[in-house]
Amino acid sequence: MSFKIFFRRAKKSTFLKLGICGFLILLMLLFIAYPLMPYDWAGIDFANKNLAPFKDMKHIFGCDSLGRDILTRCLYGGRISLLLSISVVVFSVVIGTLLGLTAGMFGGWADIIIMRITEIVMSVPGLMLALCVVAVLGVNFTNLIIVMLITSWTGYCRLVRGQVMAIRNSEYVKASTVLGAKRFSIMVKQILPNCVTPIIIQASQNLGSVILMESGMSYLGCGVPLPTPAWGSMISDGRQYLTVAPWITIVPGIFLMFTVLSFNFLGDGLRDCLDPKNKN
Amino acid sequence: MRIVKYILRRIGFMAVTLLGVSIIAFALVRIAPGNPVELLLPEDATEEQINAMEERMGLNDPVLVQYFKYIGQVLKGDLGYSYRLNKSVSQLIAERLLQTAKLAVITLVWSTIFAIVLGILAGINRGKGIDVFSMMFSLVGQSVAPVWLALMMILLFSVKLGWLPTNGSSGWQCMIMPSLCNGLAQAVLVARLTRTGMADVLSEDYITATRARGISKMKVYSKYALKNALLPVVTIIGARIGHLLAGSAVIESIFVWPGMGQLLTQAIGQRDLQLVQSLLLVSAFMISLANLLVDILYTFVDPRIQLT
Amino acid sequence: MEELIKIKDLFVEYRVGGVVSNALNGLNLTINKGEALGLVGESGAGKTTTALSILQLLPQDVGFITNGDITYHGESVLTKTDKEMGDIRGAKISMVFQNPLTSLNPVFTVGEQIEMVLHRHNPKLNKNELKKRAGDLLEMVGIARYRLADYPHQFSGGMRQRVGIAAALACTPELLIADEPTTALDVTIQAQILELMKKLQHEISTSLVMITHNLGIISELCEKVAVMYAGQVIEYGTVKEVFTKTAHWYTYGLLNAMPKLSGERERLVSIPGSVVNSENLPSGCKFHPRCAHCTERCKTETPPLVNMSETHQVACWEARKA
Repeated sequence: MSFKIFFRRAKKSTFLKLGICGFLILLMLLFIAYPLMPYDWAGIDFANKNLAPFKDMKHIFGCDSLGRDILTRCLYGGRISLLLSISVVVFSVVIGTLLGLTAGMFGGWADIIIMRITEIVMSVPGLMLALCVVAVLGVNFTNLIIVMLITSWTGYCRLVRGQVMAIRNSEYVKASTVLGAKRFSIMVKQILPNCVTPIIIQASQNLGSVILMESGMSYLGCGVPLPTPAWGSMISDGRQYLTVAPWITIVPGIFLMFTVLSFNFLGDGLRDCLDPKNKN
Repeated sequence: MRIVKYILRRIGFMAVTLLGVSIIAFALVRIAPGNPVELLLPEDATEEQINAMEERMGLNDPVLVQYFKYIGQVLKGDLGYSYRLNKSVSQLIAERLLQTAKLAVITLVWSTIFAIVLGILAGINRGKGIDVFSMMFSLVGQSVAPVWLALMMILLFSVKLGWLPTNGSSGWQCMIMPSLCNGLAQAVLVARLTRTGMADVLSEDYITATRARGISKMKVYSKYALKNALLPVVTIIGARIGHLLAGSAVIESIFVWPGMGQLLTQAIGQRDLQLVQSLLLVSAFMISLANLLVDILYTFVDPRIQLT
Repeated sequence: MEELIKIKDLFVEYRVGGVVSNALNGLNLTINKGEALGLVGESGAGKTTTALSILQLLPQDVGFITNGDITYHGESVLTKTDKEMGDIRGAKISMVFQNPLTSLNPVFTVGEQIEMVLHRHNPKLNKNELKKRAGDLLEMVGIARYRLADYPHQFSGGMRQRVGIAAALACTPELLIADEPTTALDVTIQAQILELMKKLQHEISTSLVMITHNLGIISELCEKVAVMYAGQVIEYGTVKEVFTKTAHWYTYGLLNAMPKLSGERERLVSIPGSVVNSENLPSGCKFHPRCAHCTERCKTETPPLVNMSETHQVACWEARKA
């Protein structure tokens, strides 16, 4: 796919535009606005305990049960959530692609074993598997990444293997083999470019799903360990104060939704623009 | 004959998968820091209980022997005893599965009907209002954290309006919010799939051909395109049944619904690894079984399917 | 001869994502009762669009008739309701599609698909009668009756096209539109299908519109031929006149681009340039950028169809004299 076609389609795709805007706004908030915030994310101030939003414009989204500024915490928490999801996705892509390539290229036992493993992982609900492993390994940031990695590499592995299989049997690989080219080198040259598009699409949606999963794990006490705020842990922290100070829960949830929505827009937009089968 | 061979092959695959899950479940207890016997027993366990458990697990045997012992017990249907909850694990799971199943049925019914109707309408009226609505519904539905959605519903329906109870398991009112939260992801998935399925099918040559034979639009939508569009949807719904029966740990914990998911969080919270092990196995079994049944069913409903 | 279908000055546009392409640009065509008409032209000349316009099956929200009229037995089809059109489609006018692999629904048996047409237009028939009629139709196109219960993927391409023909002829229509029915098939199968269509056309005495870009098929099957270019008929007449007294330079180019099996070997001549871009049509005669005989007038004024003889018309300012 040439960049020209991509840009022509990108100009028409509302989803892609929304996704990119959302993502840029997010980056600006997290990396430009956060350092300018006058508060410390851990700064306790009992004078402002459970302060409602918009009452005091110094604390525009209010304060939590310890009087900490919610906006500051959301922005800092966003960095944590984003760091977590980006690390998980990057590692998943690398591991999934390598295993998928191995399975597809070598076939035989390598293929059987790798595909059985993906099936085993997929036969247990992701959150359940993650909880079990965290329960055993203990809660910390690295373990959290490992656990989410375990549940999310399978998608990439299957995707890459599928591409390899399709290309192995395609006319042009056969044709180039007939012309005397080395089968292996052709496949490597052909496969990776063919995989990039679907991987990008899946990764952009995976970014959002990791953030969602973190929120579930936080609620069950297996998320980002306290006192570090991540969106998920902030939401579950707020549940005790749902009746007196609902904003403690509402605000991080909105940040989370905005972010995941941006990633989903990005994913759908990229699909529209990158899919070679899409004619317009 | 081909179908029998296919089914046998699939059952073989399923056995391999479950074997893999059993290895994970087995390893979980051995990897966990601390003495496995103490992990499986309450802190105030008697000497007798400890001896009995050591005997049961055969900790002095080689690991492989221990594993086969474990598998042997599982195959006999003996999933062990939860000392923390003072009940046999099989009995506990049976009780909780029933509760989760209740929720799963309701969730499945509303989400399937809602999503298929929405998906069909959107697929037929591409680019129109209903399509935009379904797209927005899908995107937002995919982006909301279930925890947050559940808390917001409690805030609105229980705290502000006082219509629904926040938790409990008595009466149908208690099931509304958990099934709404559980079903959202499901509905999003099915609606998206139905929409694309319908839209793709409607642009096929054979639909134009059907129309060229004088068949009305309504008849095409309700019969000749619907069957094609819904075939892939059936697979997804079927595959999701297993997941629904495994329960949602988050939603069940929030609404204190005494099902499989809540049992899991309970077990993890109390470090009741015996129970965790079994829940993992049972969930994997249900999910694989659901997938197997759907695949077999599919070979009957879709004439094109090639048995491999 | 009685007029069955008359298309007058028809304009059709396809609008996709803000791009408008002009598929038909003032098409005039008459189809008479009992007559076999060939419709030729390169891909994109608007042949299939013409067929779909007659049946009022242009893709919804994409294809629009912007001007002109199509009459069937003197009545405009544009003003008919979908219900009325439904009574015509499949019963009075039916169509065989280009690709037999994609024009049968894969999840219904061929029996169900043939019975569906029969039932639509003969609602009184019961299950057994439907089944019997469908079986008769299959036998008519040379397929054993017991295969009614089979699914399309169990048939070869040629067999599927036979099923398509059976379904199209199920209600003995007055007009059969065949949209390149053999393009997707092997050469030997092509001949069989053409033979079958020729035979059935005479048996049922239906009119035929044969859409193709194969001039051989036209001379084999048709009495009249209409040559299309850029959504217009540029030459029309009896097959004999059009092929021997070719008047339009485009038709002449088409004929010269076809290899001859007999006689002395000649050099094939291709028509220079490429098919007209329907999103950006040239002014005047749509063929002028590719025509060696183009004059200033050709670039500005669109030539009308004029009579060369009673049965031969051409739209060209510099018509070739044969």
